[in-house]
Amino acid sequence: MEQVQFIGEHLAPGKLGHFFAILSFVMALFGTFTYWRAAATENKDLASSRGWLLLGRNSFVIHSAATAGVFFTLFYIIQNHYFEYFYVWRHSDLSLSPKYLLSCFWEGQEGSFLLWSIWHCVLGLIVMFTAKGLESRVMTVISLVQVALASMLLGFYFGPDIKIGSDPFILLRTQMQDAPIFSQANYMDFVKDGKGLNILLQNYWMVIHPPILFLGFASTLIPFAYTIAAVWKGEYKQWLKPTLVWSLFCGGILGTGIMMGGAWAYESLTFGGYWAWDPVENASLVPWLLLVAALHTLVIYKATGRSFIITVILMSLTYLFVWYSTFLTRTGVLGNTSVHAFTDEGKALYWHLLVVLCILMVIAVGLLIYRWKGFPRIKTEEAINSREFWMFIGSFILLLGAFQISITTSIPVWSPLAKAITGKDVAPPADVVKHYNDIQVWVAIIITLLTASILYLRFKTSDNKTVLKRLGLTAGIAVVLSAVMAYTERIGDARYITLLFGCNYTIVGMIYYAIKVQKAQIKKLGAASTHFGFGVFVLGVLFSSYNKEVMSINTMGIMMDFGKKNASENARESMENVLLYKNNPVVMGEYTATFLGDSTAENDPRIFYKVKYERRDTVTNQLKESFTLYPDAFVNAKGMEENSMSPNPDSKHYLSRDIFTYVTKAYDPKMKKDDTSQFKSHKVHEGDTVFTNDGYLIFAGLNPNVDANAYPHQPGDVAVSATVFAYNTNGIVDTLHPVYYIRGQYAYQVTDTLKASNLYARLENIIPDDKAVELKIKQSAADDDYIVMKALIFPYINLVWLGVIIMSLGFFLAMVNRITKKEKEKAATA
Amino acid sequence: MKRTHIILLVLVAAAVTIIVTQFADFSTYETFASASKEPGKQYHVIGFLDNTKPFEYDPVKDPNHCTFYVKDKAGNLSKVVFNGAKPTDIEKSEQIVMTGSMDGDAFRCNKIQMKCPSKYQNDQVVVGNAS
Repeated sequence: MEQVQFIGEHLAPGKLGHFFAILSFVMALFGTFTYWRAAATENKDLASSRGWLLLGRNSFVIHSAATAGVFFTLFYIIQNHYFEYFYVWRHSDLSLSPKYLLSCFWEGQEGSFLLWSIWHCVLGLIVMFTAKGLESRVMTVISLVQVALASMLLGFYFGPDIKIGSDPFILLRTQMQDAPIFSQANYMDFVKDGKGLNILLQNYWMVIHPPILFLGFASTLIPFAYTIAAVWKGEYKQWLKPTLVWSLFCGGILGTGIMMGGAWAYESLTFGGYWAWDPVENASLVPWLLLVAALHTLVIYKATGRSFIITVILMSLTYLFVWYSTFLTRTGVLGNTSVHAFTDEGKALYWHLLVVLCILMVIAVGLLIYRWKGFPRIKTEEAINSREFWMFIGSFILLLGAFQISITTSIPVWSPLAKAITGKDVAPPADVVKHYNDIQVWVAIIITLLTASILYLRFKTSDNKTVLKRLGLTAGIAVVLSAVMAYTERIGDARYITLLFGCNYTIVGMIYYAIKVQKAQIKKLGAASTHFGFGVFVLGVLFSSYNKEVMSINTMGIMMDFGKKNASENARESMENVLLYKNNPVVMGEYTATFLGDSTAENDPRIFYKVKYERRDTVTNQLKESFTLYPDAFVNAKGMEENSMSPNPDSKHYLSRDIFTYVTKAYDPKMKKDDTSQFKSHKVHEGDTVFTNDGYLIFAGLNPNVDANAYPHQPGDVAVSATVFAYNTNGIVDTLHPVYYIRGQYAYQVTDTLKASNLYARLENIIPDDKAVELKIKQSAADDDYIVMKALIFPYINLVWLGVIIMSLGFFLAMVNRITKKEKEKAATA
Repeated sequence: MKRTHIILLVLVAAAVTIIVTQFADFSTYETFASASKEPGKQYHVIGFLDNTKPFEYDPVKDPNHCTFYVKDKAGNLSKVVFNGAKPTDIEKSEQIVMTGSMDGDAFRCNKIQMKCPSKYQNDQVVVGNAS
């Protein structure tokens, strides 16, 4: 075939980027080998070990530089809109505002792996300078994982079927070889714009949430690498501190990242909440739970020398679950069960991730068996009144809770097996949220009850009297608080009352602990504030979900049976959407909501729907409160199917609750049909009423003194205007003055309009014999202007966010405390 | 045996029992025919929207009521009633997964998940009240 010389392509950056990708892979491989040699020769030949170590360091630095090179090259082609590259064409377009350029990275598979890899490089470089005696081993593990990640970007083919990785710099014409357009040399003349970024990602949370979450994911590697290094070396003292510090860092960042995802979901998705137990959410929650469990057993080991084996197991599980999560969410195995399962790469990625997972598992399990006999163990039993005993149980409960989440999330993975055995095609629970809540509420109860109790205990053994006194005091205060809260928040379910008590117990206990035991020394407050934050967070979850209220209950329409316990629940289920005609107030809870119309802003593809909420005194009808929400939607946006919309909610935030509103259906103002409504004639006498779509009009009489500005006045005109009062359900709105005048032999009319109601009034004729007038009234069909919306109330949702913030700060406080402690000890030994 | 080991065993046993009893929550993928054997029980049904039949949704009459026809994997056609606003782009969906139960001749569902041939990577949309 003749080679076509294509015009208008920029091939250099792609070649450079691909070169960087290969370099990054090769250097990671070389780094793994050299660091491994450094570790292997450490005890035999110090000089050669030193040489290998230097080689390893250099290769990791070059690897990091190359990975950064890939990153910047990809950013460069996105920024310059080189649509000849498939990645750019698929994930961006010309209209994309600069702040979303980075979001193109996490829309695509390759970009996400790249981001993950970049964070590993950053963390790896820090570890390189701080790991000291464990450097060679820790860095071998990190480099090995980097080999796996770098291979994701290779895009090498072995034969027609086997593909390793996916090259982000692949050209559009290579990706879509079959399209005839790419046989033309000037095809770039036709590819003027890309397909654009998914509108769901065009949200400020989507700018900051993925990098934080990926940093969290990436940071789980470090405690794992240290643990593997320690087991490999067979030396279990040196790894303690760095592993503890990194685990705290990881717990804080990963936790923040997960809940930022929740905040994004709350602000821009419409499932009505911050957490839906979606498989993708679970996939990041499970490693976090395991990590927190590992962190606690590590603390036990540090203080008492116990719980070593479970620490190693939990640390390994954490990291294996990170890769398992990646496997679940990236390969499409979740298929029908997830909102955001990423699907495209398919088979190649499936095997690729499976191989990585297996290698990591073999390493972890292999080392565990190899070193099993030499692991530190303590023969005696721990005392029941010791901190380590209960902390161990708490960690174990976290592990069991994580397993439960994982088993249900993994249904699509094991259902083929279940089908082979039982013949049943297992699907996720019909009510997923209830399924998880029913079990996890017990985990939360146990953890909250243990939290405060454990911090009152000391390692090894405690003074029973002091502990019991403190526990009794805390429990007493918590009981009173819980009783008040359960009463005011109308919480009736026994389980949730127990959980309420657990939260209060933790909160009170942590305040007491912080003041009484830690003497409110900021540096030492890490543990107290993390657990305090956890208590506040669970309390917020409890209030906001238990008393989540649907305001938008539709009172007309068809009731359906949804298998709920009673009729009112069925009714509720089938009526959560409410239709609002423009300017037609609808009662919602203690508010009346009125849809006032839509508006668009320049350079913003969204349409904003203006919904006014008013709260009036039930007796005096006095306005007590009024606010306007602007839920918006992308309607027929670029790249979307016709007649489709993607709504974003808007919320009114109060300290004690949020009013959450989103549009589920709306007309498209751009496509609005021409005004087809007709004038209707009404013969009215003075004082007569004419009904309109949203109120009524009263004809109050004629007025011969017409304001000269009301119509194009000329000398000799005979003019008269009608006075028409317009009312809606709240009372009088406006007065209309349609004008009738005679100029020469002809009669003319000037229509007056009431914009807010789309109402047009014309004084058509005067009928003196009957003492009447003919009014012509037109009102644009209200059917054109409506929205269907949902409104929810989330009470005390701010506690959720507050709890997460305090919890994260606590993690960092604890981390800083551990780091500075280290320096002090060093200073003491020096 | 240490006390810790005994407690661990008890915890594991309790956890296994709880998890196994929760297996009853798990739904199954059924066809209209098999779902109608146990009316009222919640199932997942995978099917394809029949575009030759009308999709009825009149928000003026009831904003929470859609009726349409779906062909399940076995090829049987059934009427489906969905409580909620009309899912965006449902006409273009390649496949839909409905959660609900058979009630007489109609499948009543409160959750619909669609697979659309869209450009997005996260190309699935959940509609419904996961309450």
